[in-house]
Amino acid sequence: MSSANAVNVQESALTVQLRVIHALILRELKSRYGNRRLGFCWALIEPLLFMSVFVAGFQLIGRGAPSGIPVPLFFVAGFSPFFMFRDLFSEISQGTRGHQSLLMFPQVTRMDLLISKVIVNALVSISVFLTLVICLYFFGFSFRIDNLMGVMIGFGLMIALGFGLGLVLGAVGIRYEFVRSFSEPLLGRPLFLSSGLFFTASMLPPFARDIALYNPLLHCIELIRSSLFESFDSRYIDLGYVCMFALVLISFGLMLLGVFERQRS
Amino acid sequence: MIALENVSKSYGVGDHAHRVLNDITFQFPYRKSVGVLGANGAGKSTLIRIIGGAEKPDKGRVVRTSRLSWPMGYSGGFQGTLTGRENARFVARIYGASFEEVELKTNEFAELGQYFDRPLSSYSAGMKSRFAMSLSYALDFDYYLVDEALETGDARLKEKFRQIFKQRRQTSSVILVSHNEQTIRKNCDVATVLHNGRLQYFDDLDDAFMLYRKILFKKSVA
Repeated sequence: MSSANAVNVQESALTVQLRVIHALILRELKSRYGNRRLGFCWALIEPLLFMSVFVAGFQLIGRGAPSGIPVPLFFVAGFSPFFMFRDLFSEISQGTRGHQSLLMFPQVTRMDLLISKVIVNALVSISVFLTLVICLYFFGFSFRIDNLMGVMIGFGLMIALGFGLGLVLGAVGIRYEFVRSFSEPLLGRPLFLSSGLFFTASMLPPFARDIALYNPLLHCIELIRSSLFESFDSRYIDLGYVCMFALVLISFGLMLLGVFERQRS
Repeated sequence: MIALENVSKSYGVGDHAHRVLNDITFQFPYRKSVGVLGANGAGKSTLIRIIGGAEKPDKGRVVRTSRLSWPMGYSGGFQGTLTGRENARFVARIYGASFEEVELKTNEFAELGQYFDRPLSSYSAGMKSRFAMSLSYALDFDYYLVDEALETGDARLKEKFRQIFKQRRQTSSVILVSHNEQTIRKNCDVATVLHNGRLQYFDDLDDAFMLYRKILFKKSVA
């Protein structure tokens, strides 16, 4: 993490770090998916189950998604990025726990572990998203992509938010272990309900909308849906707000991590 | 070079703080086998974790410009669901070493046969430590970091590892941390004694043992 801890005359610290992160990513992917018979399919199962329940529910009460978006696609565009965010923040906040055995390798730093976790989780989640979208497309739920860049920015911001929130919770969790166990019900559930997985900002009554828009995830999901579907456009996206939010979370998290890491007992 | 510069480390906060390492400055000599003697609770494990980078010192820094091993024989850093070969590759990758060479040597030292391609979780405890030890030897380190146990396996394997260790002592440096005089006498050229958060260096092993015995004796009287 600090340069003083990774000095190497023959190789620059950056070369070593890139090599370590590369090795960690391969190791993680291999141990998660490599030796199981179904491998990557497991990663698809959870979001698929969740989404089919909601899609079925919507069909039952006879509601459609707004602006002519096919219902399954509407959910995929909300659930996939949200699950990515949720997995990221819980993995990162666990990643600061205790003495991790991988740190016994001299050139492996805690930051390497965290960065490789972010990359692996993002890679897997985005692959799941693409797989679902492509499958739905071939099942006849066609749509026209409005703005690919917007989709990528939306996912990128979700990654930054998940990483930042994970860092803050993880850092505080070093001193106050209980924070980690409370974060899921106290943060996960409200975010699940208010991030626009089942609705768009325009469907909310004005007073609810004003409150919900404090949630940066809602902005990201609105952005992803607006960019993915030509027929839908949101008027409520404030990218500056989301960027600020992510930046503050990440820098605050890194600062806290520096403070609490030294007080680890 | 592996060196400690003004390294301090405490555990706990405020009034409960306990200073384990106190402003240690020490350069581990090149191509020598250095023993670090310490009584129980003197901070040996902390010292290893700090040298190896598993923990950061509160103050000061650790200079690591040579290829340093992880604590020899330590297998906690391996992934049980991966095979021996895959774990060896991971280690080769982070050290930037050749896969083939590392795989070949590990298997040659550890004599795992077909188990080399089975998940580590299916290994017996003995096989696991053999694997860990062999992998440490398969990479050519400038410095070997050793925590207590050097011996593993049956008599024949013990002798085999002893021979490998002997060879490595000619070409590499060793940092061996132990509470046991005999271990240090057998494997080290010079020694330091870790006591009250300080590291005291001796060119002559016997001088180190004398101080160490004094410390142990005082402890048992008090």
